[in-house]
Amino acid sequence: MIETIKASKSEKIIFIFLILLAIFSISSFFLIKNKCLFVKNYDPEKLSFDKPENIAILNVECGNVIIELYPEISPNTVERFKTLIKNKAYDDVAFHRVIKNKLVQAGDLEFGRKGNLDYGKIGTGKSGLGTIKSEIDNPFDFTSGSVGFVRTKNYDTEDSQFFIILEDKPLYESEYTPVGKVLYGIDALKKIKYLDKSVYVLRPDFINTFRMLIN
Amino acid sequence: MKKIFFIILLTLAIYPSKADTIYELIKIPNLEIYDLKAENKLRYLYAKQPFTIGIDNNINCFNSNKDDLDQKYKIIKKNLDKYSFDFLKRINLKYIVLCEDLSISGINTAGIPDSDMKTLILDIKFNNKYFERVIHHEVFHVINDSFPDIFNKEIWSSYNKKDFIYAECSTCTEKLGLDTITKNKGFISEYSQSTASEDMAEVYSHIISDKIPKNIDPILEKKISYIKSQILLIDDKFQL
Repeated sequence: MIETIKASKSEKIIFIFLILLAIFSISSFFLIKNKCLFVKNYDPEKLSFDKPENIAILNVECGNVIIELYPEISPNTVERFKTLIKNKAYDDVAFHRVIKNKLVQAGDLEFGRKGNLDYGKIGTGKSGLGTIKSEIDNPFDFTSGSVGFVRTKNYDTEDSQFFIILEDKPLYESEYTPVGKVLYGIDALKKIKYLDKSVYVLRPDFINTFRMLIN
Repeated sequence: MKKIFFIILLTLAIYPSKADTIYELIKIPNLEIYDLKAENKLRYLYAKQPFTIGIDNNINCFNSNKDDLDQKYKIIKKNLDKYSFDFLKRINLKYIVLCEDLSISGINTAGIPDSDMKTLILDIKFNNKYFERVIHHEVFHVINDSFPDIFNKEIWSSYNKKDFIYAECSTCTEKLGLDTITKNKGFISEYSQSTASEDMAEVYSHIISDKIPKNIDPILEKKISYIKSQILLIDDKFQL
């Protein structure tokens, strides 16, 4: 004969606690896995801009990054940037150099493209359009969200790579050519994959698309 | 031994990658921003810890206390404010590093210019008597490094008496005195007699500091004219 044993009050409490813990653990697992959960995605169509012809939309895994370009500060470099964006040259190109909460860098069109990554050469690739002159004479505040063109240690070697800073870097003024500033969506950039031990990223995140608001 | 190796490996493995913007730009570690608001856009940096750089780590400098730094900064800035942004850009000077007990290969020095990195390291503890003047002396080395063809050593040496020969290098001689010579025989200080480039830097620093003696001999007169004319080739708006 099987004797039915009734659960005591404390056993019931422990059972309910275990169920709640299991629910919390499972939901946390999914929440943590989704790195874009708390990142707001901005829709450029719902925003208004003073100079829409200078607005570029960088789409990354966690949403849109809306950038205003400054042709009056760096006319030649912005022209190059616009040309590459209009040619869809940056689509599927890696954020190959990322420093947590400080900087993201992308735009190696030769060795940084999805499906054709070359870890040995990434960061040294060319666009095929040639280098352009640095434009560093105009004053510019390199505050968080500033977008600049990458160069080698020499001036006048800018090509296609660009960086976006995630913290103020006043020493960059007159060192790097500024091209614009992030207006909305900088949080999406803070979610770009980085490594703790190296600034160069193995299996990096990619630019989905990069478009001008008005083509 | 294995344990030590393991600990080192573990330390390296867990050490996070950091971005040191100053190091990235001028390749000197352990620096912090002191002042970025100078009108001529010179960037003043200071050593927050000692640093070692150069071939075989032969250049050393140490951090200073805040009071010394604040006091010397005012003097340095007052002197470097004489240079316009345009001039500094032409001569490739942008970063001023402030530290103390600066030495190269164990020899103390007032400053070390590096025009490639647009940097001038200054020893804020250098002899007070000459401190302001040596700032300009070091600036001349930056100018000379950026425009080596403008300051011709052969032309310069030809102003000296025929039997005079400079030393092989600035530290290859005992003539290191920085006092201004009043009865000059073609030289403005004892150190001027070390090398042509140091001679030019000494003359230049006396011109900029307005410390040229009243009575000067014809050789020194030629040297002063030469420096003035060559500086104007770099920037015709330069105030001499």
